[in-house]
Amino acid sequence: MGNLLQSYVEKAVEFGEQLGLDVIIIRGLEKIHNQIRFSQNKIDINKQWHTNVLEVFLVVDKNFIATGEFSPSNEAYIKDQIISLTEFARKMSPSPFYQGVEESVTSNYPIIKGGYDSSIDSYREKAPEHVIACINAACEAGAKRVAGSYLFGETYSILKSSMGLYGQDQATFFNLTVRAFQDELDASGQGLSCGRIPTVAEKDLLTAATRAGTFSKLHRNAVQAKPGIYDVVMAPAVGANLLGTIPSMANPVAIMMGMSALGDKMGSSLAPEFVNVDDNGLFKDGLASEPFDIEGTPHQNTPIIKNGVFINLIHNTSTSRIMGGQTTGNSNLTNFGIGSKFLAPTPTNRIFNNGDHSMEEILQSENPTIFVSCNWYTRYTSRISTEYSTIPRDAAFLVENGELGVPIKNFRISDNLLRQFENIDAMGKDRVQVKWWEVNVPTFIPSIRVKDCRITTATQ
Amino acid sequence: MINMTEASIDQANFGLEYAQQNNVQYAEARLIDGTRTVFVLQNGNILSGSTLPWQGIGFRVLVNGGLAFISVDDIFNRKAIKKAIDTGIKMARTSNPKEKIDFGETISNVAKWGIPTEEKISDVTTDRMLELLVEMDKVAESQNISTRANIFEAQESNKYIVTSEGTQIHASLSMLKFIGILTAKGLLDSEQKMIDLTRSTGWEGTKTWLKEYENHCTRIAKVAAQSDHKLTGKIDFVVGPEVVGIICHENCGHPSEGDRIKGREGAQAGESFWRDLKLGESRVGSEHVTILEDPTILGTGGYYLYDDEGVQARERVLIKEGVINEPLLNREFGVKFGMASNAAARSADFNREPIIRMANTYMKPGNFTSDELIEDISSGIYMLSFTEWNIDDRRYQSKYVGFECYEIQNGEITETMVRRPVMELTSIGLFSSIDGVSKDLSFDFPGICGKSDPGQGVPVHAGGGMIRMRGIRLG
Repeated sequence: MGNLLQSYVEKAVEFGEQLGLDVIIIRGLEKIHNQIRFSQNKIDINKQWHTNVLEVFLVVDKNFIATGEFSPSNEAYIKDQIISLTEFARKMSPSPFYQGVEESVTSNYPIIKGGYDSSIDSYREKAPEHVIACINAACEAGAKRVAGSYLFGETYSILKSSMGLYGQDQATFFNLTVRAFQDELDASGQGLSCGRIPTVAEKDLLTAATRAGTFSKLHRNAVQAKPGIYDVVMAPAVGANLLGTIPSMANPVAIMMGMSALGDKMGSSLAPEFVNVDDNGLFKDGLASEPFDIEGTPHQNTPIIKNGVFINLIHNTSTSRIMGGQTTGNSNLTNFGIGSKFLAPTPTNRIFNNGDHSMEEILQSENPTIFVSCNWYTRYTSRISTEYSTIPRDAAFLVENGELGVPIKNFRISDNLLRQFENIDAMGKDRVQVKWWEVNVPTFIPSIRVKDCRITTATQ
Repeated sequence: MINMTEASIDQANFGLEYAQQNNVQYAEARLIDGTRTVFVLQNGNILSGSTLPWQGIGFRVLVNGGLAFISVDDIFNRKAIKKAIDTGIKMARTSNPKEKIDFGETISNVAKWGIPTEEKISDVTTDRMLELLVEMDKVAESQNISTRANIFEAQESNKYIVTSEGTQIHASLSMLKFIGILTAKGLLDSEQKMIDLTRSTGWEGTKTWLKEYENHCTRIAKVAAQSDHKLTGKIDFVVGPEVVGIICHENCGHPSEGDRIKGREGAQAGESFWRDLKLGESRVGSEHVTILEDPTILGTGGYYLYDDEGVQARERVLIKEGVINEPLLNREFGVKFGMASNAAARSADFNREPIIRMANTYMKPGNFTSDELIEDISSGIYMLSFTEWNIDDRRYQSKYVGFECYEIQNGEITETMVRRPVMELTSIGLFSSIDGVSKDLSFDFPGICGKSDPGQGVPVHAGGGMIRMRGIRLG
């Protein structure tokens, strides 16, 4: 991969410099990603995406900015696109949010080990066998029906800017979601597994499938949950979706947009002292780990919540200059809703500290307690006050005498996230990486118990 | 009407012919060739702007009952296209499904269709687009909306679908998307609401935007300033077209999707409570409930005349007088249900496979005037709009939290605003509680509907008139 892409990236920057742009950043991406979708114990479709694009950020006349993305078919086309985007930027209004990009460019970037699987090409043909093995493993564990998706692939990226930045990265990844069902609709279990090296992942994939099958079996004959106040033990998938939202709000753009509860909370205690959350773009096996951000700032570890106290926002150069402080190397061309991309601080890997409790200890609670293995459809009444509800799906249980007891179904967690974050009661030592449909930011998180959660159910 | 370049069409045809040379059961190429212009504003200031060429081809091949999807964005690179097709054929062969996929009877439609436009988006300058967005922001600011995040996208594209069965569909598309995330400081809390003005239209579709946006902002500000009255217990509800729309979409449209019913979305969007019911027999609501699905409604987000498998669109009757009637189907699931496709295959982009999706979902108008729905309610809530909502992945346990809501007393809608009443109901509980539907119909709920993995957000509309629901215990 890469030779042609490299020449296209260099040409694009050269064209930008010839046009007299203040700044041009080009990221060339060459990706081959695969996905195998399966359901009812069989493969439904096998997919492959060939992506070959140049992402563009450019600045003209100090703060007239534009972003773009196109597939570079030849040099003339690239030149046309850069000219077109420059003309577009000149017609824009100046952006008060643009306050510059990284100027101290280095070539001494951190090295991320173990992020690329050199056998990825031959793996593509073996992958369907692994999927079939996962289906079989889930069935052997008790599933009647198994569904899921297995996504894997490689991305080669080259970054170059008019500020002198040059860097490249090559990464592979895998991400399995497997869901096992019984014959009835409402007895199911989920397993997740993700990482960077697919050729050594088979054991983890099978473990995830076995977990899904086992949970689906345990969830048979689930009874209607009763509304009330419970302690909730959140499996990593649940904690990543819910509790992970709070550190995600430590983003200046989220605060500006009215999408964050943390606008006035810097320095405040948000959680007990044993809770620490970092944003770490270098974390081993992290799906968002790479050496540098799109401005060429080296990735780093940024503590967001330390000993329960909110201590840092993530920044790029512009937001650090607007709000004071230093860039944290979190700049990216981020998606914001429908088709839009803009240069903004973007989370990398979200890292909760591992706790020191075994699952047996976490399940030991004096209060009525529920274990939730998965959730979906989290929606907020207000992102500022963090009132929300979410629907547990798949296996959930009443905890009885420190063990998973009666399987339950048909309920919501309807609560306030800031309050729940304060009410974190215990953290497990079973930290795993989570990224799936309901969790966009790769999140390393253990099982977590939260006190006094409000559970609601349908009234008729 | 169609101005897609011959060169790009040639590339789609080349890919299809190359696939056919390799003895596939079925092959299909779907080309998208267009442009997108996007702006993001925060409180009237530009955060970002983009203009993007939008070009790529998605191929599907069916080999020995195994299905593969491949996409390329470098469409003028024939070597890349051949490589992608070769890979796709190999992947289809190795997927070796236990149950072979069958697309049913041959479809060979040849047609051209398009979204009628008075003013082409490509003729509108960047200045005019920005002027409108800034003007809209000023309107919001004047209504005390303290935080405004507005995202705008103008899409103009051509779509060309060609299959090994002889289908050739050319479509000329034009769409304006607008989403506003608005926050107003309130009596008790900040009130937030997402406003969506998306529709299939040329630039003329923006003529009403200022007025619509102002109306939304006024209502949000009113909720923030006045909504502080809590109600509890068992109560009657009358809900307006926005809420009827989301109910039709979530509690009926999604569970009617054939792929969910048969389990294909099991690990993602989920399955469906319709699985255990019988079409034409199982009652899920009162006789007042008839819910329709129709892609052919001009101007809507879900408008199309041929779906992404080249099947001609038509109205679908999902629930008929309270009984489930017809699922949404594509070709594959048409065969599985022993029925034909009813043109529900949609794809969000060239790099996504066509799957079963809604288009425009709404409740068929009934016989009541709005006054008649209200007049015999002694104590109730008139819910005009909603905020937080969700529903389980079988589409059975739903929750809608009211946003703009008024107390009904003695047959009259009062000025007392009710704060965030919660309807937490099963789909059958909800539809069974309906004892009246108004005569009118409006599509007050445009939205981007998400499904599948990787995610496919497609524009849809939903609506209805007003409906009355009896004896709802507030959550």
